[in-house]
Amino acid sequence: MTARRLATGGRIDRDRALSFRWDGKLCRGYHGDSLSAALLAHGETVIARSFKYHRPRGVMSSGVDEAGGLVTLGYGARRDANVNASTQELFDGLVARGQNAWPNVRADVGAINNLLSRFLAAGFYYKTFMGPRLLAKPFGTAMWMNYEKLIRRAAGMGRAARRPDADGYDQAHGYCDVLVVGGGPAGLQAALVAATAGRDVWLVEQDRELGGDWLSQPAAQEAERMQLVAAVKAAGVRIMTRTTAFGLYDGGVAGLVQRLTDHLACPAPHQPRQCFWTLRAGYTILATGALARPIAFGNNDRPMVMTIAAARTYLHRYGVLLGENIIIATNNDSAYTPAGELAQAGAKVTLLDARATVDAALMARVAAHEVSLHTRVAPLNARGRRVVTGVDLAVAETHGWRAHGMQPCDLLLVSGGWSPVVHLLSQRGVKPSWDAARACFIAPHELPNHLPITMAGAATALWQTDDCRSSGQVAGEVAIARGGSARSAMPAKSAAPATHGAGAPKNGGWARPILPLYEVRVTNPANERFHKSFVDPQHDVTTADIRLAQREGFTSVEHLKRYTTLGMGPDGGKVGNVIGLALMAEAVGSTIEQVGTTTFRPPYTPIALGALGGRHVGTQFKPLRRTPMHAWNLAHGATMTMAGLWHRPWYFARAGEDLAAAYCREATTVRARVGLCDVTSLGKIAIQGPDAATLIDRVYSNSFARLAVGKARYGIMLRDDGLVMDDGTAWRLGAHEYFMTTTTVHAASVMAWLEELLQTRWPDLKVHVTSVSEQWGGVALAGPLARAVLAECVANPAAVAHENLPFMGVADIELLNGLAARVARISFSGEMAYEIYVAADYATAMCDLLWHAVAARDGCLYGLEALGTLRIEKGHVTAAELDGRVSIDDAGLGRMASPRKAFIGSALRRRPELQRAERACLVGLKPKIRGQKFNAGAILCRADAISGLGEGWVTAVTHSPALGHWIGLGFIRGGATAWADVRVVAADPVRTAPIEVEIVSPHLVDPDGERMHG
Amino acid sequence: MAKSPPARLSALADYEVHHAGESGRLGGVAAGVTVQEVGALVLYQVAAWPESVATVGAQVAQHIGVAQAPGPRCVVEGNVAGERVALLRVEPLKWWVIGGDGSARLPTLSPAQGTTLDLSHARTHIRIAGPNARDLLNRLIPLDLRPPSFPTDRVATTMLHDLGITLWHSAPGFELFIPRGFARSIWENCIECGQQFGLEIG
Repeated sequence: MTARRLATGGRIDRDRALSFRWDGKLCRGYHGDSLSAALLAHGETVIARSFKYHRPRGVMSSGVDEAGGLVTLGYGARRDANVNASTQELFDGLVARGQNAWPNVRADVGAINNLLSRFLAAGFYYKTFMGPRLLAKPFGTAMWMNYEKLIRRAAGMGRAARRPDADGYDQAHGYCDVLVVGGGPAGLQAALVAATAGRDVWLVEQDRELGGDWLSQPAAQEAERMQLVAAVKAAGVRIMTRTTAFGLYDGGVAGLVQRLTDHLACPAPHQPRQCFWTLRAGYTILATGALARPIAFGNNDRPMVMTIAAARTYLHRYGVLLGENIIIATNNDSAYTPAGELAQAGAKVTLLDARATVDAALMARVAAHEVSLHTRVAPLNARGRRVVTGVDLAVAETHGWRAHGMQPCDLLLVSGGWSPVVHLLSQRGVKPSWDAARACFIAPHELPNHLPITMAGAATALWQTDDCRSSGQVAGEVAIARGGSARSAMPAKSAAPATHGAGAPKNGGWARPILPLYEVRVTNPANERFHKSFVDPQHDVTTADIRLAQREGFTSVEHLKRYTTLGMGPDGGKVGNVIGLALMAEAVGSTIEQVGTTTFRPPYTPIALGALGGRHVGTQFKPLRRTPMHAWNLAHGATMTMAGLWHRPWYFARAGEDLAAAYCREATTVRARVGLCDVTSLGKIAIQGPDAATLIDRVYSNSFARLAVGKARYGIMLRDDGLVMDDGTAWRLGAHEYFMTTTTVHAASVMAWLEELLQTRWPDLKVHVTSVSEQWGGVALAGPLARAVLAECVANPAAVAHENLPFMGVADIELLNGLAARVARISFSGEMAYEIYVAADYATAMCDLLWHAVAARDGCLYGLEALGTLRIEKGHVTAAELDGRVSIDDAGLGRMASPRKAFIGSALRRRPELQRAERACLVGLKPKIRGQKFNAGAILCRADAISGLGEGWVTAVTHSPALGHWIGLGFIRGGATAWADVRVVAADPVRTAPIEVEIVSPHLVDPDGERMHG
Repeated sequence: MAKSPPARLSALADYEVHHAGESGRLGGVAAGVTVQEVGALVLYQVAAWPESVATVGAQVAQHIGVAQAPGPRCVVEGNVAGERVALLRVEPLKWWVIGGDGSARLPTLSPAQGTTLDLSHARTHIRIAGPNARDLLNRLIPLDLRPPSFPTDRVATTMLHDLGITLWHSAPGFELFIPRGFARSIWENCIECGQQFGLEIG
């Protein structure tokens, strides 16, 4: 290995030396290095093991198309696998390790797979592990079950961190007139043109620096780059470096991921790691460049075999000369300039051109640097076990290649041409077309008119910097002409379709055309077994795999991809797709054009999963909803629980109490004396306007027309299909004003439903509905002493006397502390009870006032669990029962539905299905042996036929302090009367043995409601 | 004997957020964003019917001393007895009257004209200002906040963390009206996200 850092040159800052660790070893590099550059300069050739065969791999590229140098970065919660060493910026203290190898990448026992490779060809898993289950182990699918863990461990690409992500991520929204993807010569020029014309331009570049290919060119080009970058900045372009446009979507939406801290040794404490941008652009210019394409030949994956473009980048950008004795193999003009530059830097360079004739000027250029040039010669096989040491050569004959000697080298560089990056356009559904003259896929010359997109630069198969800049100029002008304003994402109909590449130079700007060359092999079958020739090194897909796929019938490109995994994963088709397609075309006797290409899909390069989650993690996964008494409840000993997004008190344990003890005490206290409960989470809707009564009457199934002002009524809403939507109450506050309450669960959907009805069905009704759920803080005050407590807390005790505030009465009452309260005598618990609401900011003050009086009577605070107990004892339904499958008759409330009016659901509730006598109806449940307990979710079955879905189900259970045993609510076919003399069990096979239950009326306590009316 | 009502306690009152301070990217650098709760919100909704929207608008405008009520998505600010009052057109048939001393300043509407409703406790008013206010908001809100699209005195109903909120671009900054129960959660979100810009809690 003879790669070395040159004494001068490169874009690195030699005054800022950095240290990092590679596989535990301390190494040094410079600010401005990529990890791959620093490793190469350090003499590290083998830095990875391949996915399937565990072959030694080194750096193959210098950018996003890196197929060899995937490493694991960081440790602990910040361990990140499959990091591209070629794009990872070096920072002080960076820790990197080789992956998919044991004990390490240099001596990996898994390399035995390479010897077994003839059994591991494409389709290995399907052939070996797919089979009928009836075959005894260890065959077929059964074998997969046994060996899956081992195989998954052996084949892989590093291990993910096992701890929660230590970093934060942002998600952001951006808007611009023109988005330019790619900050190379074309992109910079396009951005400059659009911004100079006054457009709001975003320029997105995945690299840390602007310049694209300029960054890989000799220092002489730097002046031009700097001048253009300065002009772009001065024009006010918003420049986003370290940002990848990974996806392009409908309506000018681009997905960007901005890497904010991946290059930093010590990120600022509150700095998110990455920001996921949803950018909405009026017009998009794709100046995404082109990727260097390799050629398939034997052992073309050996470390120190890489693209010429990469070697040029390492030379000019990082000041690293990768070899002393370099062989360059090419089929096109682009290798000549780098060949001269590498020779000029001090290497012995041999240039192999597969073509027969070469442009005289190019020949002269390399001859001047003493590059030895051989035409009609190509590499047949790379020699060397762990790193390339020489190349078996092949010479072109009339039909194919013939082996032709060997030449030693320490670096083999390959250029099989260039592949324009058309990924983003392909994501928009535009199929790239094959350009035979330039041997690459390019965008169609005319893009569909509805796409506000154009292409520029090397992405359109222009290979010279000046041509790229000119095409950027044209693209910028197109963007201006076609709108390029965020509010006119759709181009004007009359606008001409975006074209590009018109008047493009011949051969993409090369003197001589490229020779289509995808694979070099001699017709010797033995060659293939020992000289694996890789198409997609990242997934260990070889030329033999492509041919095998063809022989086995997977000739469609989509099948080829899935059968061989060609171009999957982080590679995304960047390296091997064209070679794979060419080989398939050859195998089926067709052309690449006819074979076509697969559709590229986002993301273009990998993005952290955390970026997709953004800040929706941990306690912010969903916003928490707190009642105005939240802190008050906590201060008074509440244990909280979630009810939808709401945090509600679950129970208020006293010393030594657990949940069960607490809720039983709370329920007992409410029935015996008095309790106070936060009920703010109930939905509350203001219904106002001259037609408010009409709306109420139409949406509730029971009659509301004659509800007097100052009275409340329980109501049930049905859906159009006749099933129950929600239940709640409506309080008539005035002739034209109601206050509606809903269940906590359905508050939002009922509100949306009322809005929908008013906006779409009954726009003629003069009614406004407004959610006031947040305006009011509310409590339920329940128990025999409730009235006494309330009387003590109001300014005028007479206002709450029975005659002034009877059952279902509503009144605005001033509390003793001066607060205006809205009070209704309503009961969910079955006790005498009031719901009392005050403006939310005063809710705590109300609680203080009431609690003082409640506590003085040895009352209690009660939570959701006791609330559940009290309502189950009374047979009152909630969302647990009203689950969207239940009719009003099923819930035992059919007599509430008015036969004298039409209401939402009134027609369909009469449909035969909902009228069947044997439908499951609401019932109460008691264990036959009173000491036994049963569970919600159990299935109700005949005791002698415990099977299938049974006869019904249990929706809610509780221990009833009033009855002294467990009780429940549920539904059973035909209702309680049908099961009077039949033994029924609550079958719960997963949790308990079947428990025999009695099926009774759901009104388990105080069925006549005497306590409530008292 | 009745006494005067106790003091209002906002959704953020019991939380340490009110301890004003600075965090994030600071150290001599001015804060990129300031986040503050604007307390004691007075907010009334005035809603009209399609045929009365013009007359109700005129009445409300007259009450706050401006020439005419704002059109859709717009805001005008007036002055009632020395207090600034803002009129936000939040829906085609609805305005929000913010500020002043409440209902006494509202026009009396007959049912045929429209309705009024007190929402003063239904929202928590948070103001986000500073040079990076827009950057912070665009990490929370999917709205084009560039000046041509969302200039001063524009109002929008938008989404913040999957939650419907009202956003008004005022002279001092951006005024967010958050449903009260979510206010603390949203506040925490703003603080957490805002620290990267250097944050001052007002």
